Amino acid sequence: MTTTSGIITNIQRCSTEDGPGIRTTVFMKGCPLRCSWCHNIETINAEPQIVWYASKCIGDEACIEACLQEVLQLTPEGMQISRANCIACGSCVSACPTGAIKLMGETWDATALVEELIRDKTFFETSGGGVTISGGEPAYQADFVTEIASGLREKGIHVALDTCGYCSENVMEKMLEHVDMVLYDLKQMDPAKHEEYTGVPLEKVLQNARQVASSGKTMWVRTPVIPGHTESTDNIRAIADFIVKELPNAERYDLLAFNKMCLDKYALFGLEYPLKDYDLMSEDAMSKLCSIATDRGVSNVHWSGMTKHESGKKSMTIPNKEVNRCG
Amino acid sequence: MTVGNDEAASIDVWSHSKKLSSRVKKLRGQFYSFDERTETNEPYAFSTGTPWDHVYSFHDWANEPAFYIFRASIRESLSAMAVDLELPDDFWDHTLPMRRAIVFHEAMTHYMPTLILDGEMIVGFHFNTALSRALNKREAKKRNKEMNKWFKKASRLNEFGVGTASATPGHIIPNYAKVLRVGFRGLVDEYENILKQPISSEHREFVKALILTCKTARAVNRRYAKESQKLAGVESDSLRKEELEEIARICNKVPWEPAETFWEALQSLWTTHMLVMAAESYPGAGLSHGRWDQYMYPYYRATIESGEMTREEAKELMECYWIKHNYVYDFQGSLGINQGINSGFGQLITLSGCGPNGEDMTNDLTWLALEVIDEMNLLEPKPNIRLHKNTPQEFLLRVAEMVAKAQGSPFLMNFDEHSIEGMVWQGVPREEAWDYGIVGCLENTMQGNDRSGTVDVNINLAKAVELALNNGKDVATGKQVGPKTGDPLKFTSFEDFMAAVKKQLAHTVKLLIDCGNMADTLRAKYQPVPYLSALMDGCAARGRDVNQGGTDWNFITLEGMGIATLTDSVAAVKKMVYEDKRLTMEHLLKALEANFEGFEETRQLLKSKAPRFGNDDDYADSIAQELTTFWAEETFKRSNPYTGRRYRAGYLSWNYYIPLAPLTAATPDGRRRGEFLSGGVGAVQGMDTRGPTASIQSVGKLGLEVVPNGASHTITISPSMVQTREHIEKLAALLRAYNEVGGTALQINVIDAETLRDAQKNPDQYSNLLIRVTGYNAFFTQIGRELQAEIIARTEHTVQ
Repeated sequence: MTTTSGIITNIQRCSTEDGPGIRTTVFMKGCPLRCSWCHNIETINAEPQIVWYASKCIGDEACIEACLQEVLQLTPEGMQISRANCIACGSCVSACPTGAIKLMGETWDATALVEELIRDKTFFETSGGGVTISGGEPAYQADFVTEIASGLREKGIHVALDTCGYCSENVMEKMLEHVDMVLYDLKQMDPAKHEEYTGVPLEKVLQNARQVASSGKTMWVRTPVIPGHTESTDNIRAIADFIVKELPNAERYDLLAFNKMCLDKYALFGLEYPLKDYDLMSEDAMSKLCSIATDRGVSNVHWSGMTKHESGKKSMTIPNKEVNRCG
Repeated sequence: MTVGNDEAASIDVWSHSKKLSSRVKKLRGQFYSFDERTETNEPYAFSTGTPWDHVYSFHDWANEPAFYIFRASIRESLSAMAVDLELPDDFWDHTLPMRRAIVFHEAMTHYMPTLILDGEMIVGFHFNTALSRALNKREAKKRNKEMNKWFKKASRLNEFGVGTASATPGHIIPNYAKVLRVGFRGLVDEYENILKQPISSEHREFVKALILTCKTARAVNRRYAKESQKLAGVESDSLRKEELEEIARICNKVPWEPAETFWEALQSLWTTHMLVMAAESYPGAGLSHGRWDQYMYPYYRATIESGEMTREEAKELMECYWIKHNYVYDFQGSLGINQGINSGFGQLITLSGCGPNGEDMTNDLTWLALEVIDEMNLLEPKPNIRLHKNTPQEFLLRVAEMVAKAQGSPFLMNFDEHSIEGMVWQGVPREEAWDYGIVGCLENTMQGNDRSGTVDVNINLAKAVELALNNGKDVATGKQVGPKTGDPLKFTSFEDFMAAVKKQLAHTVKLLIDCGNMADTLRAKYQPVPYLSALMDGCAARGRDVNQGGTDWNFITLEGMGIATLTDSVAAVKKMVYEDKRLTMEHLLKALEANFEGFEETRQLLKSKAPRFGNDDDYADSIAQELTTFWAEETFKRSNPYTGRRYRAGYLSWNYYIPLAPLTAATPDGRRRGEFLSGGVGAVQGMDTRGPTASIQSVGKLGLEVVPNGASHTITISPSMVQTREHIEKLAALLRAYNEVGGTALQINVIDAETLRDAQKNPDQYSNLLIRVTGYNAFFTQIGRELQAEIIARTEHTVQ
């Protein structure tokens, strides 16, 4: 049997946040969306890319020597990478003694990847967990994903698909056939805003959500609660109404509070996080959004994530002001 | 002794629950007021008064290199404070065991104070001692000569960083259950029957010595009964007066008579236990209770079922009992070694676990004990929970919840199936092995008939690499420590290198065992402990002291340190020198010789590009397994002919990876001299980068049945991973999986803000620290600094 290969950015074991139980999450590279709050910037581009970690670099320039394309240049401002000419061959990565140069995006053969993903099988069994295929957007490598998912299920592994829902109906249908559940992102219910913030039209996302619903697969709906983008009560109310009306198989609804853990990742690509000056959500606001969803009839609503400290709360050694500033 | 790499937890974070009764709160507070209180359990020293007498034996403490420099001053200060005992005229006519029994009896029944604290329900305060070794002049002379010879050898091995060799007391589970059942009177009846048989005069006097110490226990509690009666006479509070009268009644009865009620059983147990510490002159370290919830349960049930006591009353009694164990720490007071209270003295209580057919043995008392542990939050006794495949889910969840909120207090889990395999491997019949207990920190032994000598001898496994790469020489001193295994430049293959490592490993095992034999023989010859022998099955019948190998199971455990450092070093040589050929042996040797100074690229390459143990990477894990099997089997081949005690392997490194760090040259895993060795069966600090499940699987692949002592494994998780009920359930599932694919014992540290700050400063050492963010997990050290500060602030917030 021939197997497909694909590109992934990471395998995260002992994941506790990507579906039921203890899971291994695999991140597929490539995403059609361009969400302004994106946390996994390294997964957007479908091709492997090299990145450079300043803190690990000892300036030995082994990478520069190894690079036949001559795309690297170490300057006082750091490593300059001419990405346009980089073919991501990985020569620099293996030459670097410290791991300061890393390839974001590794090519895996589906069969080998399945073997790797089932290493924690015992943990899946005791916890009711399994493998979550995330990204990026898995649909971007649908054939690869389908093959991995069916390979895993043949071995009795529970498979969850973590998707933004933007793909053709055929692709969605094909993937659905091989997974046990879907973690489905609904971000913004206003079509104009959806397109503005994510770069793609809303209708397709909703259409695919209905398709997941009609497949009868278990569905966990998730909304990233991003200040100034998705956090409005109207938006959450609209999502809740959609869930109640159209997604009878939604078992759970998660509101994921905005955080800025990805600042350093942006820096790796020489970019600045567009939302770096945004405040964190408050605990009150998150609870309120939960109640709104619950009041509209959604069951099993949760919120998680970082929130800013409320002033007047119990003592902290780091003053509130500083904490608020960074969060 | 505690596990893991934590500094001692500072006391102020250890708060008790608000639910405690005012009595228990007061008693708990009394212990913790050690800066102000006048009542103290600092050691009393007792001498025969001869100029050659000793009240301290260095082989008791020599497993801990930190004590080497204090050795003389501790010995002198104890000798100086020693009280001369009034001894019978024929004292010197007796054999050594009888002399030791007389010293113990005299000291405990005529000299030790009988202090009862206000509000106490369980009594027995002073038990830290430094008892005369009761040697005559000739014995003392011989002993000192042998002691010096051993110590010279032990010091040499310590200086070379090979390891330590001692004969450490404690670390044993006496047959307390039997004392509860038959009383010391029952033991005396049994021993008197032995006297009726035709036995040698030496054997006869040995048995008589045991009988005398059983009577010591009776006399001690009669003294407490008298004191209690006296206090009752002047007590104005009628309730307390009644209590004191009941204490007097109980102390007149137990531990001499069998216990009948729960209160009697607790008092009997405490007296019996504290007297072991007194008899060995060793404060608690490792002296453990075994399966407490199993043998105490009948008394608890009887008391509850008869309506004599409510569950709440029984609980308060248990809490009074719990506090008593903490007074071992007063030992450190007068000796100039009190660097703040640390939690080093492990009196373990084994809870839950399986029965003979794999069935679960959790009972009401197990649950109540967890409640007590939870609410008291004390240093001692330390709980070890035995988990197995039939552990009820509800119980497992309760354990997971306690792990999640343990404020750094030691809370270990031992895993039955893997532990039992180890016991069976070392020869314990399977139909007995299920009833094992735990001593020290996590060390598996049988109950009431096993001295396994855990932490007696400790080997630096990583040293073998240094020796193999230097033709048997210790780099720092240039001395030939191991055999000449050849110039590494002439090794033609990895197999040559591996063969040299194994030869050096076998040799260091032998060096330590030869030295360990000397310590064990010294103790066997000159330091009998008749009281403890009376509590260990088989000693009386065999006429051999527990220190002479008189009980049923006699082992000395060689604890291996730095297995991950050794593995990673061997893996790095295999991969970098022989497979990928990125380094020549010559270059590697130069880099190591220079301690990597001027070889930063090489050090980085070795650190980041070679396979590492702890990541579920079969390349490294198979090397770890091969080396584990090799040194463990080498160890098991040997025994001390004098005592018949057989060596077995263990993976408990306590804090030795710190003192051994400067004594171990730079290693091929990129470690410089002075950097810590790996602890327990954990990865080299910061080198496990694939999360807890991968770390667990690596440990599971070691093949730990050849390590019957068991293996110390610590996982650190962030409080964010265990905040909600859902996450507690995931933790419970992780524990269940551990039972299948992991090792023998696990400690989970839910880290505090201080540790996080350390992680922020030293990211390389915490690369496996997983945290929970919104909707996903991330490694703490890979997020930005500002956000780390934020998480630290939140962690502090949760703790408060």
